[in-house]
Amino acid sequence: MSVTDTTAKEQSAALAFEFDLRHPPEKVWRALTDPVLLAEWLLPVAELQLAHGAEFMFRTQLQPGWDGTVNCRFVEIEPLRKLKYTWVVGDFLDTVVTFTLTPIPTGTRLSLVQSGFTPAQKQNFGGARYGWRMMGGKLVALLERTT
Amino acid sequence: MMTAAAAEDRIFQALVDPSRRAIFVSLTRGEAAVKDLTKRFDISQPAISQHLATLKDAGLVSGRREGRCVYYRVEPKGMKPLIDWVAHYRAFWTEHADRLERLLDRMA
Repeated sequence: MSVTDTTAKEQSAALAFEFDLRHPPEKVWRALTDPVLLAEWLLPVAELQLAHGAEFMFRTQLQPGWDGTVNCRFVEIEPLRKLKYTWVVGDFLDTVVTFTLTPIPTGTRLSLVQSGFTPAQKQNFGGARYGWRMMGGKLVALLERTT
Repeated sequence: MMTAAAAEDRIFQALVDPSRRAIFVSLTRGEAAVKDLTKRFDISQPAISQHLATLKDAGLVSGRREGRCVYYRVEPKGMKPLIDWVAHYRAFWTEHADRLERLLDRMA
């Protein structure tokens, strides 16, 4: 598998990768959407229903200050081509994950983008969530330059 | 030593205030004394000092005394806990994509 980190420098609030997989899109799509297969390569998943707006959860180990749940909701489903869902961890990480499948002669180019690394504020600081969203990725980009 | 979560909390808490955020962003352009910031932001000197104390407490800025003035600057490692987050997911996806490839190889 060849991996390309396509994260743009000025866009450090998003992670972007391209994976060239030696398998057809149909198969890759199954791995991305079948709960049993998802548990094998990504994380154990609960209540997964492939429907626009449907909510589901990934479950991982308990960690201090976090119950190990990733809350997700389908935003876009385009069979064999595109899968987009929210990836929300507690009240401190609010991101969106987008998988895009493109057929290539050797199989499938899988593009993966996780965007929105704007630290959503803890809810008890009320209203802050909005503030952080508004800041967009600018702050993190700025800080990476100064670090 | 602060835990990662506690460090993140302090950073968020420090930067969630718009004035404080503006002060911080302003300091990323270079060191400044309290009086410079007072002029720049039209905020009272005690208020500026209070904001700087909060930023300092979060590890985002540091102060350097020179005569009667304290000059503040951005602490280069201050935002590391947030940047680590992105780094965490970079490693996460790379590792899991490897697993995906191995799974695909096994699948009929």
